[in-house]
Order: sequence, then C-alpha cells, then structure tokens
Amino acid sequence: MKIAVCVKHAVDEAELKIDPAGNPLLAGAAGKMSTFDKNAVEEGLRLKAAHQGAVVVFTVGGAESKKTLKEALAMGADRGVMVVSDPTALDALRTATMLAAAMKKSGPFDVVICSEGASDTYTGEVPPMVGELLGVPYVGYARKIAVEGKTARIERSLEDSVESVEAPVPFATSVVSEINEPRYPTLIQIMQASKKPIEELSGEELAPAGSRTWVEVLSMSSQPTARKHVMIDGSPDEAAAKLLDALSKEGVLK
Amino acid sequence: MAGLDIGYLAAYAISLASVVVVAFVTLSLARKWSISLGPGRVAGLGRDEARRLRTGDAVFLMHLSIALGVGVTIVDAVIAPAMAGVPLLLDLFRAASVPLIVGLVVAFGWRVQRYYQSRRVGRGLGVPGGFASASTALQLVLMAAIALTTSELVLLWVPTLGWADLILDAVRNALVAAYYARPSVNLIAKFDRPLNSVSTPFNLADVIAGKTDPGAIRAGVGKVSEFSPDQSLSFDSCVEIGACEASCPATAAGRPLSPRVLVRKLSLLSRADGGGSDVLTSVGEDELWSCTSCGACVASCPVSVKHLDLIYDLRRELVSKGRLDREKSAMLANLAQSQNPYGFKNAARASWAEGMDVDTLQSNPKTEYLYWVGCVSSFDQRAQRVARALSKILKHAGVSFAILGAEEMCVGDPARRLGEEGRYQELVLQNIEKLNSYGVKKILATCPHCFNALKNEYPQFGGKFEVVYHTQLISDLIREGKVSVPPDKVQRISVTLHDACYASRYNNIFEPPREMLEASVDDVREMGRRKEKTFCCGAGGSNYWFKVPQQKSIAGIRAEEAAGTGAKTIATECPFCLSMLDDATKVSGSGMDVRDVAEIVAECI
Amino acid sequence: MSGEVWVYSESEAVASEVATAADDVAKGASAHVRMVDISSLRPTTRGSGARLLLKGPPSPEVSPAVAAEALARAARELAPLAILLGATRDGREAASRLAAKLGVGCMAEVAGLASDGQGMTGERDVFAGKVVAKVRCRFPAVATVKVGAYPRAVAQPADAQEKDVGPIPDQTKTLGREKKQAGSVDLRSAKVIVSAGRGVKKKEDLAILAELATAMRGALGCSRPLSSDLGWLPEEHHIGLTGVTVKPDLYLAVGISGQLQHVAGMKDSKIVASINTDKDAPIFQASDYGIVGDLYQVVPALRRALAARR
Repeated sequence: MKIAVCVKHAVDEAELKIDPAGNPLLAGAAGKMSTFDKNAVEEGLRLKAAHQGAVVVFTVGGAESKKTLKEALAMGADRGVMVVSDPTALDALRTATMLAAAMKKSGPFDVVICSEGASDTYTGEVPPMVGELLGVPYVGYARKIAVEGKTARIERSLEDSVESVEAPVPFATSVVSEINEPRYPTLIQIMQASKKPIEELSGEELAPAGSRTWVEVLSMSSQPTARKHVMIDGSPDEAAAKLLDALSKEGVLK
Repeated sequence: MAGLDIGYLAAYAISLASVVVVAFVTLSLARKWSISLGPGRVAGLGRDEARRLRTGDAVFLMHLSIALGVGVTIVDAVIAPAMAGVPLLLDLFRAASVPLIVGLVVAFGWRVQRYYQSRRVGRGLGVPGGFASASTALQLVLMAAIALTTSELVLLWVPTLGWADLILDAVRNALVAAYYARPSVNLIAKFDRPLNSVSTPFNLADVIAGKTDPGAIRAGVGKVSEFSPDQSLSFDSCVEIGACEASCPATAAGRPLSPRVLVRKLSLLSRADGGGSDVLTSVGEDELWSCTSCGACVASCPVSVKHLDLIYDLRRELVSKGRLDREKSAMLANLAQSQNPYGFKNAARASWAEGMDVDTLQSNPKTEYLYWVGCVSSFDQRAQRVARALSKILKHAGVSFAILGAEEMCVGDPARRLGEEGRYQELVLQNIEKLNSYGVKKILATCPHCFNALKNEYPQFGGKFEVVYHTQLISDLIREGKVSVPPDKVQRISVTLHDACYASRYNNIFEPPREMLEASVDDVREMGRRKEKTFCCGAGGSNYWFKVPQQKSIAGIRAEEAAGTGAKTIATECPFCLSMLDDATKVSGSGMDVRDVAEIVAECI
Repeated sequence: MSGEVWVYSESEAVASEVATAADDVAKGASAHVRMVDISSLRPTTRGSGARLLLKGPPSPEVSPAVAAEALARAARELAPLAILLGATRDGREAASRLAAKLGVGCMAEVAGLASDGQGMTGERDVFAGKVVAKVRCRFPAVATVKVGAYPRAVAQPADAQEKDVGPIPDQTKTLGREKKQAGSVDLRSAKVIVSAGRGVKKKEDLAILAELATAMRGALGCSRPLSSDLGWLPEEHHIGLTGVTVKPDLYLAVGISGQLQHVAGMKDSKIVASINTDKDAPIFQASDYGIVGDLYQVVPALRRALAARR
C-alpha cells in the first residue's frame, strides 16, 4: 500500500510573540509540526504496519519545513517530498495544487492522509482540495480507518454524530486527533532520519500557469492573552449575575 | 577437645579445600569482571560498612552479622588445629560468636518474614510459577547458609564436635562459593558508586560534531544479553535479601513493581536462553514506569545491586520503541518544543518575581549567585511562593543573585529519568552554553532535581559550576547570623520535615533543613523514615507526568506517616514534594498544612 | 454590478445564520441573496431573498461530495459572485471541494463578512484564537461562515427557481450515522467545561456541578484528587498533566486550588473563571474571573441566574 501523508511546518502558537501594537511577529517565529499532523503520520504508519508498503510525507513551505519533514521521517515514514515555496504567499488552494501535483509525480497513492486542519491557521481546506484535485473520493474527519482489500470503512467524527462511510481505494482522508496516539521520535531517531531521502521540488514549477494566491491576509491583530484577573464580589447571587454578564460579554456562554 | 584423629583430619582437609574453592571462585569472578580486590578496595568497603553501621540500619546489621559470621567461621576453621593449644584464641572466638549468633538468629527471622512477604508480593504481581519456585529456592539457600553459620558458631561451644563444625563449614562454604562470591565481588566493585551516577549510552556532543554516527547509537536494552557486564553482574548478584522491596514506595503502593522481582527476572532470563529473548516480554511496561527513581532500593541493597541503572536502560528501550502513552509523549514533546515539560511559554517564567525587584543575568551579570528557579517554581502558582520566599530571605541577608528569567529552560532531568537521553543531553548542552556565556560560577537551586543534575551530571558534559541547594545556603546564613529569627517571631507550630529523595538520599543533605526549622519553629517532630531513609512523595522518575496503576497513592502513604507524628505542618524542601503532599493532605482530609522550609523561615523575618 | 450571493448549508438552522452573513456581503456588492436547496426544497429554511432548488442528486441525504458537485455545476452556469456555506464539518468539506472544482479562493470559518464590490473580506481566528486575521478574496469566491457568529435571518417569502444539475453519483456510501452519546465525556472537544476540585466535600455533591454543567451546555471535568485518588469520577473526567488536556471557550473551575498539575491541562482555555473559598488560591492567578466564595452557595446562585436568563 502506498501511503501519502501531508504535514505542515506550522507556527508554534504557544511561543508566538506579539509586538506592543498587537501585531504577531511571524518573521522568525518558532515552528513545529502542526499538532494533528502527528496523528496523520501515525495513521499512515499504522496502515503501513497492517498492509506493508511505504509512507511518503509531503510538505509545502520554506526551508525550515524540512525540520518537520525530518520529524515525520524519524517517526518512521520512508521518504519525504519537500515542495519549496514562500509560505507567506500560500493559501489553501495554492498549497493543495502544489501538493496534488507533487503526489501525481511520485504516485499514484492508495491512501492520502492529512489532518483535519493546521494548528496555526486551521482552515481545514487543504485536505478536501487535495482529494478533489487528485480526483479521488474524499472522506474527512476520520476517527477510525480500516482498509480491507479495495474498500475502506471510515468513521467520520461530526459535530454531534459519528458517520460510517465506505469508500473505494484509492481515497483521501483527514484525521481527527482522537484517531490515535502519535509516537514520539527521540532526538537520536530524528538525527538518524537525516539519512532518509528527501526529494526537493519547486512549488512554482508544480503549480500550473494561472494559479495564484486567492485568499490574501490583509492584517492581523492579536487578542490580549494574559488572564484578566477580575475578582467579582458581592453576595452569591450578585456575584453569579455579574459573572454571567461578563461571560456572555466574552461570548463564551452557550 | 578431639584428638588429631583421621576423621578430624579428613574434615579439616575438606574444610580447607572449601575455603580454597571460595577464594578461587571469588578471585576468578573478580578477574572476569576486572575488579580489584586489593587492600585499598577492601579497606574502603570496611569504612563504608562502618558508616552504614552508624546509620543503625537493621537490615544492614543483619547483613553484617552474616558477613562477619561467615568470615569468623572461615578463620576459625582454618586455624582450628592450632586453636587446641591456645585457649585464649578459642575464648576470643567464643566471645565474638555471641553477638553474631544473635544477629544471625534475627536475620533468620527476618528472612522467614521476607519469604512470606515475597510470596505475597509475587502473588500481587502475578509472577509465573517458575519464577516463584526459583525465588523460593534462592531464599532457602540463604536461610540454609544463615542456619549453617549459626550452627558453626554454636558448635564453638561444643568442643567434642569440632569435626562436625568443619564439615558444616565445608557445606556452608560450598554455598558461599556458589551463591555469595558474586554478590561479594559486586559489593567490592560498587559499594562506593554514588546513587546519583547515571550511565550515558552516547555523547550527544560527539554526534553533533560528527564524531559518532547517529545510526550506530543504541540507546536502551531490549535483550538481557545487551546489558553491560557491569549490569549483568548487578542482577546476577541478587540473593533475594528483599531490602529493596521492603523500602520501595512503588511496591508499598501496590504498583506492579518490586525491585527484587525485576532484578531476579533479568537474572533468570539471562540464564534461560543465553539472554537472547526480548526483555519486554517478561518485564511489563508499567512495571518500569512504576519506579520513582527515589533510590531507596539501591541505597538499601547490602550487596550493591544497582536497580536504577537497569530500569533506565529498559525505559530507554521503551522510549526508542515509541511505547509511550499520551501523557509521556506530551511531556517529551513539550520539552522538545517549549523547553519545559508543561508546554508553558517561557516568557512567563519570571512572572513570580513581578514587583520583587529581582535582577536577571541580562540586566546584572555580576551577581554572586544565579538562582536556577526550575520549571515548577516558575509555572506553579503555589511553588512560585517558594521562589518569592527565597528571594525575600536572600534580599534580607544581602546575598546578590539574579535569575535567567525567560531564558531559563528545563534542566533535563524529566527527560533523562523517562529514558529520553538525547533530549536530556540536548537541554544540558544548551544550558551549559548559556550559563557559560554569562560566566556563571555559582548556582543556587530550590528544586533538588535541578540541583542534582546541575551538580552531579552537568560536569560530565562540561558544565562545571559550584551548585548550592537553598537549604544549604539559608542554613549557612542563619549560622552566620545574616538571617536571624527574633524569639517573638518563632512560629508556635508543630512541624515534621519530609526529606526530598534527591536532596537527602542522593546528595546527603540532611541537617540544613532541620537547622532552618530549629531556628524558626518551636516544635519539630521526626518521621520514622527520614534522612537517607526518607520515603518518596511519588513524583520522582518523571512520575509527576503520568499515571501508573496502583492500590494507594505514594504521597498518601507519606502524608499518613506525617500525620502520625501529630504535627500540624509538613515542611518540604522540593516543589514536587510540596505539590504531591499538598494534594495528598487534601485527599486525606487531615487538614495538614504543607510548606517549603524556605517559606517557613521567610515568614519569621 | 448585479449578481448573486448563494447560501447553502446541510443544516437548516445554520443556513439561516449564513443568510444573515450573506445579507452583509450582498449589501456591499449590490447583489441579491439566494438560498440554495439540493434535491428537495426544505420548507423550514429561513432566509432572505430568492431561492434556488438544485435537482438531480437522487438522495435526500446530501453528502459534502454531492453538495460540492451540485453547487459547482450550477455555479458554472449561473455564475454567482459568492457562495457561502456554514462552517460545519460537512460544510467545510463541501466548500473546499467546491472551491477546488471552480478554481476559486475559499475563506474558512469567517465572521464579520463584508464586500467592497470586487471581493469580500472576513475575519477569522488564527494561532489558536490568539490572533484575528482579516482576509480578503476576490469574486467569485467561496467561504464558510463561522457557526454561531450571526443571528438567524428572518424568513421571507420567496420564489423557488429550479435548476436540474443532472444525476450525481456518490463514490462513497454512507452506512449509518449515530448520535454521539449525550452522557459520554468528550472533554477535548467540549466548548464549556465545569470542573470540580477538592473543595467539593463529598461525592454526592458532584451532582450540583453536573447540573450546572448541563445547564451551561458543557461537560463535567475534575482535578486529579477527585478521579485518581478518591475515585469519585472516572478517569476520563480528569483534567491535567496526568489526565486530558482541554481548551474550551469557557473553563469554570469550582473548588480547585490550581496546582500546576491541573493548570497545565487547561491553560489554553479561552476564558477561565473560578470559584474558591481561599482568596489566595493559586487558581485565581490563572483565571480571568474569580469569585471568592463557598461553592455550595455560589453554584446554586449560578443555576438560579442561568435559569432566569433562559
């Protein structure tokens, strides 16, 4: 079974610094493998363990994305494909176009696995777009994947229900975090993985003529992240009412 | 007195031959492991035994009775023919025999009790039948050796049975050669190896420099045959004394670990098929995760078995194989990503110091001490009060210090104890580089895990600093009069001190926290298990970050012991102990207050 | 310029929220809003403007794949300026595929939609909600609208235009759908969590917190002592380093002192409120709102106040 897994070198939102004017300092921000992508790699490795074959990891981004690719290789993926492209000019469709083109070059694949969304931008659009552009059936938000012969049975985790879906192989999917517990690669394993092959492709060459960045980011502003430490006083009933007022003003009361 | 008849001579010859066999076996084992049995080592061992004698350890006294009993009876047998003519000599031996007989009888009683205890632990762990019978056999051998030695000493008083004494001696010596030569050699080799030494399977600096091929690195042990000779000598030396099991907090909590069973399993496995089978088929994952690395097993073992050394290598194997649950991998991922095991933002590290006018090294690199705050006191709102208390004391005493603030990172201890040596060394190298870049000479720590790593482990990687524990510095300041508690400020409370394993057992810091309490409260009470025999809080060995199946909580056992002193406050000296015991007292509802010794002192000035 | 802004969601309730967002876009683009149904007209769908029924897909159950294809076929012919879907999981999947089919941009989970005539803008949360990004996409464009960000539009009389898009085969087969169990704790995806600590005196008292959680449409969590040591709640409720890590919109810590062990598991919550009798409890340092008080008085007061509001 040939398995493709897509990973993203995402901005580490926990370490993201904000300047006094409220602008996030993205240049030079610490990066990491997008949180749920680890589940995608893990699921690929599990499918490989059950069906033999190979796991190829794909990423699109700048040079620093190689770190994430290496982490996936350290987890156990067989080889990597690095599509080099300026990460600031990538929207979902452009990313998906490059990924699908790269997969066509080194494919065909039986299964394409992404995660439900990147931990930094969380559009969740790339996975279905890749499926669409590859022309394979797509089943997203998988919390369980079982492949038997030429058929896959997938449990989709929706808002308040679980849907069981049958799809023919080949197919593309996105996984949610509850699907598995991703393995932790040790530092030495990451260093050992530097011997695994990584193929570099140019994103500009992969994207067909006329393709462009469709969705542009006009501006970013940050919300205050420090806790507010507002102490509410009064009788229990007064305090309760004041708290509910504050919470509904915050928009967190359902 | 028997005449020099043929029967007696034959018995003497047999006895003498058995002594030669013991000597030969011991020497060849020593040669096999390249262990020096020279007078220096033996004298050193003698000094160490004398030190342990002073601690009044009951198990050790029994162990000493056995060792001396064997020694006395061997000498007695060798010089037996000459003794007939020197009554004074016989009197001397008889005099020596009395305390030894008492010690041996007590030891026999302890053995019988340990036997039933070990059966109970074995049932709890579900050890296979083969293991149980091998364990029983070894324990019976030990009991037989004790019984034979006791009988020999008793026979000193029955001159007509001199020949029988010699025959018993020969039989006992055969047992000694077969079962005790190895532990003796192990003891001589390792009695002075500090508890805080940890094996290093590779050197990350060499890998980074390209001197070592990462592909050639094998961190961890999957088959018994992969253990080093030193390690196999360790587990083959176990004679099921059971001191480790009796002192182990994991065993006491009903976790799936007994250090005795673990070590013996490895020994039996190594003999079963040449050590080629997968260790992890006989040793459970939770068995390995149950260990809190408190070191009670290693410290209590009379024959210097190094359990932790084995456990770390097996944990390294679990980590390499990715056999980690969510909590453990999250901790390691946090260390990799955020350089602290919680995933907090390092920028917030100095938030405890807001409004306290605490310097950072960036703003003031010329201070005497770097205060290494540690992750818990940086991020735990409760433990932050300890950092504030220490700062208050230091400022009061005029000690100049600074912190690293946002630049501080985890010391690496949780990664190493969990078995991720690479990540540990990465943090060590980064920390050393930073500390050296600021020209740091003296480091002060409030966390004994940070303290232990900085003091005992960093030098191996090139980080050479003078490292001081906060209780050491504060007790010095009290002694020097730089911190003094006016009589009216002495707190009228009853306090019992919980020694932190990594401060006390690992680093022999016993008196400083007690001096702090003596100076600041009027009623200090001691728990039975204290100083080098302290009982773990349950957080060590990275256990703070994950769960292991257990019947009761280790912290709960300790909190109960503390409550038993009648004290109303538990004094701690480690932020992990503080957190664990704080939880435990809330669960038990004992209402005991838990505070760091530094907080108690700070309240008095 | 006159064009159309289409609205579609597999959920009728969400569709009427998206309709409100579509009004804002249509206003800026001088366009009309059209509510789209696929397969069959849903009489209860509320929304402004005209309606469009796409006929062809056989089943009344429209999968994201079928919805995307039906909308794409219709859009190629009728050329709307924008197609807005609800940012449900199915909606996000359908919108992404639709955008890929049409070769146009897709803005994900946006609120604050507006149009400058040439395209539309919206605001979305990025970096785990720490940053709001303003994004823009030229027409024609697709977007998914954040659920709960807009009020539902008022129903208006509308004519239903029909359009046959032809049969659409679904390559996948839906075998069944099960409601996620109401009682099951899925703290990791809960939006509101009420969490109990050692301030709760006995196991039976957890009931008042469970009721509060239900009233707030949230889940019940707890700190380590309650699950691991006392066994009052199963382990899956345990939030902290040795339990689950959660990031709800609202975390209400009740009787929790706030040890690192616990705080590390909930630190990424959007808003934290806490109730504790001890004014020095560390949890207040990790909270946005704090009430110093007895949970046995404050929790019932919260229940009364909630009931009064609903």
